[in-house]
Amino acid sequence: MSPLTAGEVVARIKSNLGIPWRNTTYRDTFKFGGPDTVVTGIATTMFCSYDVIRRASEAGCNMIIPHEDTYWNDHDDISIVDRDQAYARKVDFMRDHDIAVFRVHDHMHAQRPDFIYVGCARALGLDSKYETSPQSHHFTLPRTTLRDLAATFKKRLGEKALRVVGDPNAEVSRIQLGVGYATPTINSPDVDVVVSGEQQESDGFLDSPAYVLDAMQLGIPKGWIMLGHSISEEQGMLEMAQWIKSFTPEVPVQLVRTGEPFWVPDSLEKPSKKAR
Amino acid sequence: MMRPLSRRKFLALTASGLACTPKAMVARAAANTLTAGQLVDRILQEIGATADPDTVDTFKAGDPSTTVTGIVTTALPSLRVLDDAVKSGANLIITCEPTFFSKADKPTPPVRRMFPPTPNASPLAPSPPPPPDRVFSAKDAFIREHRLVVWRFSDHWRLHKPDPFSQGLANSLGWSKLIDRSNPAQIAIPETSLAALVSHVKKSLQAQGGMRIVGDPQQRIRNVALLPGTTPIQTSIEVLPGADAIIAGEVREWESVEYVRDTVALGGKKSLILVGRMVSEEPGMQLCAQWLNTIVPEVKTRWISAGDPYWRPIA
Repeated sequence: MSPLTAGEVVARIKSNLGIPWRNTTYRDTFKFGGPDTVVTGIATTMFCSYDVIRRASEAGCNMIIPHEDTYWNDHDDISIVDRDQAYARKVDFMRDHDIAVFRVHDHMHAQRPDFIYVGCARALGLDSKYETSPQSHHFTLPRTTLRDLAATFKKRLGEKALRVVGDPNAEVSRIQLGVGYATPTINSPDVDVVVSGEQQESDGFLDSPAYVLDAMQLGIPKGWIMLGHSISEEQGMLEMAQWIKSFTPEVPVQLVRTGEPFWVPDSLEKPSKKAR
Repeated sequence: MMRPLSRRKFLALTASGLACTPKAMVARAAANTLTAGQLVDRILQEIGATADPDTVDTFKAGDPSTTVTGIVTTALPSLRVLDDAVKSGANLIITCEPTFFSKADKPTPPVRRMFPPTPNASPLAPSPPPPPDRVFSAKDAFIREHRLVVWRFSDHWRLHKPDPFSQGLANSLGWSKLIDRSNPAQIAIPETSLAALVSHVKKSLQAQGGMRIVGDPQQRIRNVALLPGTTPIQTSIEVLPGADAIIAGEVREWESVEYVRDTVALGGKKSLILVGRMVSEEPGMQLCAQWLNTIVPEVKTRWISAGDPYWRPIA
C-alpha cells in the first residue's frame, strides 16, 4: 500500500465535506509543507502554535490541521513576520520535523453542521433540546441570573480569563451563541445574552460592551460573555478529529489542544501546558 | 460688568491661586459665552494638524451653538457618565469612543446591508429602517432632555505631541518622571517581576475583570512598551523585540496574543498585559481634561471615569 500523503488527506477532506470546495479561499491552504509530505499521523487544533506543533510531533503526528492562522495574521502573510526570531525558529522546527500544515477554516464554517458550533455548544452544556430551531445557535434556557450562567460556563470550560459585561443579577434565558470573532450583536430583541469568543471592544458595527453598560443603567437585562477566541472554537476540533479519522483509517488522528493563552491577576498561575 | 479676562491674564490668576476667589468666579461666569462650536474650533487650532477627512471627530449629538457651562472628558460616554456630567453642571461631553455604540455613531441602530436583500431586489434599494431600539432611544432622549452636546475627540487628540494616550497611561502608572518625552511609549522602569507589575497595573488603573496576561509571572521586567487603544500585529512585531513587556488595550487574539505565546514558548522572555481598550484610553482622556483647562480657562473641565466594563465570575 502506498503511504498516505498530505495531498491525499486534503483530497479526502474535500470529497467528504458535502459542499463544493471554493478555490478562492486564501485561508484553507497549505501553510507549511505540501501535498507530497508523507503523513505519519494527523492532529487537529485551534491555533497552529509552536507548542501545538511540538506536542503533535512528539505524539507522532506530522500533519497539522488548524482552524486558525500559523503566522499570527489571518492571511498568513509571511512578509509581516519573516524578520522575527520566533518566526524563524518556528519554521526551523517544522522543517526539521517534516511537518505539513493545512488550515481548514472557511469550509468548516460552511459545512452543516458547523463542527465549531457543535463543539462549543457541547462544551457549554447548551443541549440541542434548548435550541430554538436547528442551526439557529439561539437557545432558550430555564431562567437564571447572568452571574450563575457565566459561572457555569467558566466551570464547564475550566478556563480562567472569561469576561462578562452586564448586571450579574440580570434574569436571563435567551442566548445567542457565537464562536471566534463571529460574535452576534447584543441588541436583538430576542436575545438576553451573547456568548462568543472575541470581538473588538469599541468602534465597530455594534459595540456590545458599551450597549450592555447602558442597558444595565436602564434596567434592561442584557449580558455579554466573552470566552476568548481559542477556547470558544477549540472545542469543535474534537468533532473535526473524529470526522477526519472516519476517512483516514491508515493513520492515528487526534485533537491536540491549543489551550487558553491567558492568566488573570487573581489566579497567578501559568496557563497549563498539559493537554486537557 | 467686568470685562472678560484675556487667556494670559486668566492663566496668571490661576497660577497664583486666585482663580478660586469670588472675583475670578465672576470672571469665569462673565467670560462664559463660549459655544461648543467655538470651543471645538479652538481645540483644532491648538492641535494644529488635521486628521483624515473622514475623521470620526464630529458632533454626535446636540447643537454646536449651545453655550458651554462645563466640559466633561471621558473614554466612553455611557449613560452613567452622562448622568454624572449633568449632575456636575456640564453640558459638553468630549469623548474618545462612540456615543451610540457603533463607528457609525447615529442615534438609531446600524442596519446590516444584505446583498441582495431579497432575490429580486435591486442592490441599490434603500435599507429598511432599523427597528426601534430601547437603549438607543433612551440615550438619545436623555441627551435631548438635558440639552447635552457630544463631540468625539479621538483622531485629533492622537495627533497631539507627545502621544497623550501613552503619556496619560504612564502618568496613571506612576511613571511620569521616567518618561522620555520624545517617546512616552517606551519606558525603563525599576526592575520587577511580571506578577508584581500586573498587580501594580491592576491597582493603578482600577481594573476589574478585563485584565488578561500572556507570559511567565516570574519573568523579570525592565523595559515596558505602552500600546493603549487597539493594536495590529505589525505594531506588536515592531515593538516586542525592544521591550520585556507590552501593556496594551486590545489586540486581535489570533495576532498578538498568539505571537507572544509563541515567542514565550520558544524561550523569549516576553509578556503581554491586556487591560482592555477603554481602560487603556481612560488616562489619555484624563490628560485631555488637564490640557483643556489650560486652553479653555473660561469653563471648568473635568474627567469622568467610565470604568472597566468587565467582571469575572467566581467558579
